[in-house]
Amino acid sequence: MLEAINLTKRYEDGELALDGLTFKVEPGEIFCMFGANGAGKTTAINLFLNFIPATSGTALIEGIDVAKDPLKAKRHVSFVSENVMLYGNFTAVQNLDYFSRLAGKRTLKKKDYAEVLDRVGLQKEAFDRRVKNFSKGMRQKLGIAIALVKDAPNVLLDEPTSGLDPQSGREFLEILVQMRDKGKSVFMSTHDIFRAKLIADRIGFMRRGRLVMMKTAMELAHEDLTDLYIQYMEEQPAQPSAALSA
Amino acid sequence: MLRDIIKKEILDNITSPKFVFTFLLCTILILLSVYTGVTNYRAEKKEHTASLALNKKNMESQPNFSSLAGIGVKVSKPPQVLGTVVNGIEEAVGRVAPVNIVADPNLIDSKYSSNPVFAVFGPLDLMFIVKIVLSLFAILFTYDAIVGEKEKGTLKLALSNEVPRDRLILGKAIGGYISLLLPLLIPLVLSLIILLITPDISLGGEDWGRLLLIFLMFFLYLSVFFSLGLFVSARTSRSSTSFLVLLFIWVVFVMVIPKVAVITAGQIRPIPSVHEITAKKDAFLQQIQTESQKGYLDWVQKNRTDAQKDPKAFEEKFRQFLQNYQQEMTSKIDENNSAIERDYQQRKRAQQNLAINMSRISPASALTFGSMTLAKTGVNDFDRFLASVRAYKPIYTKWINSKLAQSINFQTGEQPKISLDDMPQHTIEPEWLSRSLVRTIPDFALLIVMIIIFFVGAYVSFLHYDVR
Repeated sequence: MLEAINLTKRYEDGELALDGLTFKVEPGEIFCMFGANGAGKTTAINLFLNFIPATSGTALIEGIDVAKDPLKAKRHVSFVSENVMLYGNFTAVQNLDYFSRLAGKRTLKKKDYAEVLDRVGLQKEAFDRRVKNFSKGMRQKLGIAIALVKDAPNVLLDEPTSGLDPQSGREFLEILVQMRDKGKSVFMSTHDIFRAKLIADRIGFMRRGRLVMMKTAMELAHEDLTDLYIQYMEEQPAQPSAALSA
Repeated sequence: MLRDIIKKEILDNITSPKFVFTFLLCTILILLSVYTGVTNYRAEKKEHTASLALNKKNMESQPNFSSLAGIGVKVSKPPQVLGTVVNGIEEAVGRVAPVNIVADPNLIDSKYSSNPVFAVFGPLDLMFIVKIVLSLFAILFTYDAIVGEKEKGTLKLALSNEVPRDRLILGKAIGGYISLLLPLLIPLVLSLIILLITPDISLGGEDWGRLLLIFLMFFLYLSVFFSLGLFVSARTSRSSTSFLVLLFIWVVFVMVIPKVAVITAGQIRPIPSVHEITAKKDAFLQQIQTESQKGYLDWVQKNRTDAQKDPKAFEEKFRQFLQNYQQEMTSKIDENNSAIERDYQQRKRAQQNLAINMSRISPASALTFGSMTLAKTGVNDFDRFLASVRAYKPIYTKWINSKLAQSINFQTGEQPKISLDDMPQHTIEPEWLSRSLVRTIPDFALLIVMIIIFFVGAYVSFLHYDVR
C-alpha cells in the first residue's frame, strides 16, 4: 500500500512543489494522477523514492516511513520512469540481470529473463541486442520488465506510456491490469487520459502541488474525462476539500 | 551487491568504444615509448663507451703533460638504465664535463644542443605518456561516471532499489578504476618483457625496486585524476559541464601550474645568469694570469745570480717553485670559482626548491619530480654528478701540476712521454634506493592526499547528489 499524508515539498528557491498532498493507493488498485507539467506528480514519486526529502508530511510504503527507513521502504516498491535510457552497451538481458540483482533477485536464470521480456512484448531477437539500438518503446518495455522482475507489492510509474505506439500501449495496459489482479498497488502519473480511463480504479487531478480532484472509476463512468481534464487543468482557485468530498 | 556494481561497471566500460580506443592507443604509445627509450639508451650507452675510449686515446696521444694540461680530461656521465621509462633531463643537459686547470667544469654536449629540434617536442617516454595521455583517459573514464547515469536515468532506477548510495559510489569507483587499469596493464607487462629481453639492458635488484616504485607512482597519479573525475562528476548536473570543468582543471594542473611555479620562483628568488657567473670567473682568471706572469718574472729576477753560480741547483729550485707556484695559482682559481659557484648553487637551489615546492600543488609536478628521482634522471642527479666533477677538479689539477713541473727539461726543453697510470680517476657514489625513496616521500604523500581529498569529496557529494 502507498500512502501520502499531508506531503509538502518546498524547494530552496521558495517554490512550493507539493502542498499537503494526501492520498492512499490500496492493494489491487490502480491510481492515475493527472496534472500539467510542474503540477507535482513527479515530485510526489521522488518523495516516495526518497530522492528528495519532504518539507513536511509523510510518505509510507507498506506502512514504512520512507524518510525514516528509505532502504527498507524501497524493498517494497518498483519504479518505471519516463524515457529511461538504460545501459546502451548492455543487451536487454544484461540490463535486466543487473537491475534484478540490485533488487535482490540473484537466482534468476536467462530463461526467467526471457519469460519476462516476452511478457512485456519485446521481440525475441532483441533480447541479446545492445540497448543503444532500441527504440523508445522497446526501452520502455525493458523498463517495465525490470519492474516486473522485482515483483514488489507497490509500483510507481512516472509517465510510462509516453512515446509508446498504440500496440505497445495496449500491451502495457494489460500488464498493469495483471499487476492489479495480483494485488499490487499501482500509482501512475500520466497525461494519457484515454489509456488511464481504461484501467484506473481512481483518478486524481493535481494543480500547483495540490490534489484538486479525486474520483473513482464508478464516478467517472458517466463523465467525459477530457472535459474534466480541461476543466481541472484550467486556472481556478483550488478547492480540494470540496472536490475530494465529492 | 558491491560485486554486482563492480562487475557492471567493468562490463559497461569494457564494452564501450572508449575502452577499445584507450586500449589500442595505450598499447601503441606505451610500446612505442619503451622501444624509443630502449633504442636511445643503447645508443647513449654506445656513445658513452666510445666517448670514454676516445678520451683516453686522445689523452694518451698527447706529446707531453703541457698539451695534456691544455686539453684536460673529459668526465662522462653514464646513461641511466631507467631513462628508458623516465628520460628526465637526460637529453636536455649534457653528460660530458671537461676538466682542466683553468676553467670551471660544466656539462656540455646535450642532445638538444646538438639537434635543437628534439627540444621542441621533448622525449616520448613512458612518464610523458602517463602524465599527458593517460591522465586524459582517466578523465574520459570518469567525467560521466555519476552525471552520465543521471542523464540516462539509470541512477534513479538503481537507487529505487535497496541500494545504499555509499555502496554504489564505492562499486563505481572500484569498477571504473579496474577498467582504467586493464588497458594499461597489458602494454606495461609487455614493456617489462621488452626491458628483460633486450640484451644491452641489465636491470639489477635495485633497478627493479625503482621501476616498481615508478609504476606505483604512475598508478597513484592516474588515481588522482580518476578520483577528481568522480568528484566533478558528482558535483555537476550535465556531463558536458563535467567534461569541460575537468579539462580546465587538467590544463591548470598539467600545463599551467608547473610553468607558473618556475616563473614565480624566478621572480621571488632571482639568481644571476650563467653569463654573469662566467664573466666573474673569467675576470678573476685574467687577474690571476697577470699576477702569475709577474710572479714568475719576479722570481727569476730575484734568483738570477743563483742560476749563474749553480745551474743544476737553480733548475731544481725553479722546478720546485714552478710546481708550488702553479699549485698556488690554480688553488686560488679553484677557491674563487668554488666560492662563486657555491653562492650561485645555493641561490639556484633555493630558487629550484621554491619552484618545485610551489609546483607540487599539481599532481603532474609531483609525478615528474618523484619519478625522475627514482629513475635517477632528475635535476638532483645531474647536480650530484657536476658536484663530484667539481670535487675531482682540484685532485686532477694537483696531479697535472706536479707532472708539469717534473717533466720540464731545462737544458733541452724536451718533455718525456706522458703516462696516465697514476692519474686520479673521477668517482661518484651512487644514490641508494633508500635515499631516493626518502626524497620522493613528499611526492608520494601529495598524490595520496589528493586522492583522499578528491575521493572523499566525490563520496560526500554523491551521498547528497540530486539524482532527479
